[in-house]
Amino acid sequence: MTRPNRLNPGLTDRARPLNFSFNGRNMMGYQGDTLASALLANGQRLIARSFKYHRPRGVFSAGSEEPNALVQLRRGAALEPNTRATVAELFDGLHATSQNHRGSLEFDIMAVNDLLAPFLSAGFYYKTFMWPKAFWEKLYEPVIRASAGLGRLSLQPDPDVYDHGYLHCDLLVIGAGPAGLSAALAAGRAKARVIVADEDFRPGGRLNSETYEVDAIPGHDWAARAWAELLAMDNVRCMTRTSVFGAFDHGIFGALERRTDHLANSGGKPRQVLWRIYSRRSVLCAGATERPIAFANNDRPGVMLAGAVRAYSNRFGVTPGQRVAVFTNNDDGRRTAADLSALGVAVTGIVDTRLDEFIVDTTGRKELKTVLTNAGRRIEADCLAVSGGWSPNVHLTCHQRGRPTWRDDIAAFVPGPDLPPGMAVAGAANGAMTLAAALAEGRAAANAAVRDLGFAPSRKPVPRAEDEAFDIKPFWHVKGHKRAWVDLQNDVTAKDIRQSHLEGFRAVEHLKRYTTLGMATDQGKTANVLGLALMAEASGKTIPETGTTIFRPPCTPVPIGAFAGRARGRDFRPVRRTPSHAWAQENGADFVETGIWLRAQWFRHPGEKGWRDSVDREVTQTRRSVGICDVTTLGKIDVQGRDAAEFLNKIYANAFAGLPVGKVRYGLMLREDGICHDDGTTARLGETHFVMTTTTANAATVFRNMEFARQCLWPDLDVHLISTTDAWAQFAVAGPNARALLAKVVDDLDLSNAAFPFMACAECTVCGGTPARLFRISFSGELAYEIAVPARYGDAMIRALMAAGKEFAVVPYGTEALGVMRIEKGHAAGNELNGQTTAAQLGLGRMVSKKKDGIGSTLSERPEMNRDDDLRLVGFQPVDPSDALNAGAHFIEINDETPDMHSDLGWMTSVAHSPELGHSIGLGFLKRGADRMGDILRAYDPVRGKDTRVRVVATHHIDPEGERQRG
Amino acid sequence: MANLSPAPILGGYDKSLPDVRLIERSGLALVSLAIPLGGEAAATQAIRAAFGLDLPAPGMSAAGKAHRLIRTGPDQALLMFDNNTANAQPAVRAALNGACYTTMQTDAWVVLAVSGPGTRRALERICPLDLHDSAFAVDAAGRTVMEHMSALILREGDDSFLLLSASSSARSFLHAVETSITHTS
Repeated sequence: MTRPNRLNPGLTDRARPLNFSFNGRNMMGYQGDTLASALLANGQRLIARSFKYHRPRGVFSAGSEEPNALVQLRRGAALEPNTRATVAELFDGLHATSQNHRGSLEFDIMAVNDLLAPFLSAGFYYKTFMWPKAFWEKLYEPVIRASAGLGRLSLQPDPDVYDHGYLHCDLLVIGAGPAGLSAALAAGRAKARVIVADEDFRPGGRLNSETYEVDAIPGHDWAARAWAELLAMDNVRCMTRTSVFGAFDHGIFGALERRTDHLANSGGKPRQVLWRIYSRRSVLCAGATERPIAFANNDRPGVMLAGAVRAYSNRFGVTPGQRVAVFTNNDDGRRTAADLSALGVAVTGIVDTRLDEFIVDTTGRKELKTVLTNAGRRIEADCLAVSGGWSPNVHLTCHQRGRPTWRDDIAAFVPGPDLPPGMAVAGAANGAMTLAAALAEGRAAANAAVRDLGFAPSRKPVPRAEDEAFDIKPFWHVKGHKRAWVDLQNDVTAKDIRQSHLEGFRAVEHLKRYTTLGMATDQGKTANVLGLALMAEASGKTIPETGTTIFRPPCTPVPIGAFAGRARGRDFRPVRRTPSHAWAQENGADFVETGIWLRAQWFRHPGEKGWRDSVDREVTQTRRSVGICDVTTLGKIDVQGRDAAEFLNKIYANAFAGLPVGKVRYGLMLREDGICHDDGTTARLGETHFVMTTTTANAATVFRNMEFARQCLWPDLDVHLISTTDAWAQFAVAGPNARALLAKVVDDLDLSNAAFPFMACAECTVCGGTPARLFRISFSGELAYEIAVPARYGDAMIRALMAAGKEFAVVPYGTEALGVMRIEKGHAAGNELNGQTTAAQLGLGRMVSKKKDGIGSTLSERPEMNRDDDLRLVGFQPVDPSDALNAGAHFIEINDETPDMHSDLGWMTSVAHSPELGHSIGLGFLKRGADRMGDILRAYDPVRGKDTRVRVVATHHIDPEGERQRG
Repeated sequence: MANLSPAPILGGYDKSLPDVRLIERSGLALVSLAIPLGGEAAATQAIRAAFGLDLPAPGMSAAGKAHRLIRTGPDQALLMFDNNTANAQPAVRAALNGACYTTMQTDAWVVLAVSGPGTRRALERICPLDLHDSAFAVDAAGRTVMEHMSALILREGDDSFLLLSASSSARSFLHAVETSITHTS
């Protein structure tokens, strides 16, 4: 195949030809090409269809600002839409297709939209689809949705992997163009730790696209040498294919490194890495983006930015056309003509607005054919190089609310005074639009930064280069009746902006939302300033008075997959396992996630038809003989110090100062606002040593609150905290035979009721010398203990306990049986301690000691929290024992029709089937609950369509006197 | 009743990749020392007498012949030494004779040793801390978070680090470290 537009190798590698396909057509390019340069080399000008009007579009730029040439890369699950051909690095076997058309790219039936353009102006949807109202959901919305968007997703899981990472440096240099290279060299030579990142795969920036010389050698050669010098410095990290997309607090930057996008196969390695870069200082050398001029039919394939034309011809050795015309308001345009002429490309005309000539129209449906000027010149051209001036890439300077300022001399916004802390800006990004100035600014900014950090700046002089001519006379828009495109990506025309102004959407943020100017993948990089200029013109204001929209990160697109990193599937979050996990797996456990813990919820036996069978068996056998449950997940906090007792006395609502050594006490914690926070037991193992347990859910917050209290509220107390949740494997042993079972395991400790009564605790050993802790506490209401051993013995301990319990037909029980037994016993848990309930509501009001101060005790005295008609936790039973209760049901009087704000009496918090009672039981909050024992109410549950009669009973459904646990 | 046998959390994991070796360091005892308020001088003296170590500054550790002491907070340090028995903490408590409060922490942590020339490249993917020589010299130690898991990292040598994280999520932690190594190897 001929590649008529390939002039010379440029900076590509002729020795490494690459085959690729576009819309099924096989083509060839070279290593060092982008997809865009290779397509242009192969004469492919029509590359995409525009967003709204489905107009034919070609390549417009040569960088990440590309609004037009969006394509789909790869296929199958790896298909990626909306990829900019201008930054897609060519590789052998690349499969690219065009997007956003029905039918072929050449004959897109949606191009009918272009004929309907007079009706499809800004605000069309808002105005048109208002009526009839019923049509919106059924007709308008589906149709609009079907034609919205650009590419299509594969709808399959992303087969690639992504990663995150963290980097640190003294100086981050953003961009490796002339200013960036100069900055990195200066800082690197000063021995500072430098990271230099560039989004391109070839460092050098505009040096690769222009014909300038630096230090008397071609600019691209100088860039390559500079890069080699940086690579050789072990204090410099050189990152190509890396876009710094956001400037965050404290010198932290977000960067996306594309590691395998340029390879046919990632080899299982992360395709992209999202880096968090911690910098002490930064120099933004992001360069500038060229902007177009708006004129009639300025969107045809072949119309492109002048700088891009030079990039394709100088860097890639590809001319975008055989007959090129130039349209400019500055000196850059003339340089384009000179560069092309030097390469032997025919330049058919130069239209310079500074000479009062401008283009009034173009022809050529699928590619440019001619341009027509106001002077009546008709110029044959298959490519038009347009330059409306350059806009410094200030985006990162604005990510912390900095606003750019306008400079008339270069007709552009430059970074304002409020830069992110630690940031300096150099080169074109700072408005230094010429080469020598950029090199000098980069070096100066780096030297200032490293000096500030205590390094001695390098004395090496700034690289030698010329300041090219850069004269610009602002010219934005050729007035006329035909459509002149401002934002190519969103099909926003000059007329749309005028209309936005006429309809009152004049603030720039309104303009953006009303017309979509500056949205989508390119974020209006080529369109924003032009759009502002037109709005300024319409409103009779200056451009700086009109202002800019707020730039927010990311300033270049970042795939969601990169943000997610590894957090997919089972790696979404860590998993905590209990010490008996392996044993539980061997014994038929079904696991449930409680937070990130995996806990056995029941142990399935052969022949059991459902979970209820397993749970009923576990509860019944525990209450009949003995059961064992892994309770390691409860938070454990080691509290030590001379003032530990006093500290706990302040932390808990009830008194702890007098707890004797060898005893455990149930404690209730309030928040500062007097609402219940957590409950648990705390054991006193020694005069200065306590071990607290918390609920599983609140382990971390309780620890955090206590650490805050220790450090900030009472720093004068000698008290020390450390989590021991994971250090100890802890098992509840419950049931009438619990004592007999433990007696076989525990060494030399008298477990009789007299020697080791309810709420006793002791440090002891088990199984012939393994250290252990024994607590006589009961959540189930049975005679019960909790035995703890160092976690490494946990697996052996559960096996020893089960072996010792064999003669008692011991059962392991899971969280579900645990729940059933605590509801039977009337103990509050997460459903009741929901962050909205008071001690009084829980029936624990008397626990809030008035004899001492504790966290939350004062605010718990607020009148509203102590009303006589307040909610109280009570028990419920169905009047008809065959009825199953539901948590979430609301209580109303038996005669009330339906619940509402006035008739609502409270709600059911927890329910269970009690195997012992043979029917459903519940706990719940009821107004004046304590006064309503024996009353019958309706438990109304519209969500499940249930309405059940319930009797109010005490919370203790079984053993109300507590004889079992004390026995 | 037969004696209970301890089980290493990760079964004694040991894997060598081309330029990184990752192993579970089992058999290490960890005892947390809390320095009583106003008892800094006595604690420092007792620690020196018992283990021949000076209390390091926060963020650093000190290594002696048999012990390493990691300063984990203004009033807190973690003593690490080879001891596979369950009696390490009582022994430390006795040696310090009340100069510090002690808490057994051996079982609270999983300890991974990662070493080799590719170590820092791998750790870049999970460790938010700066591990450069100038910021994290040999013997430095820091608390951080890796892949949502609380962790303590300690630099044992030029290219060798200890990573400590909660024992209950040891498998997730190992997977995170392994993934970082395979992603960068």
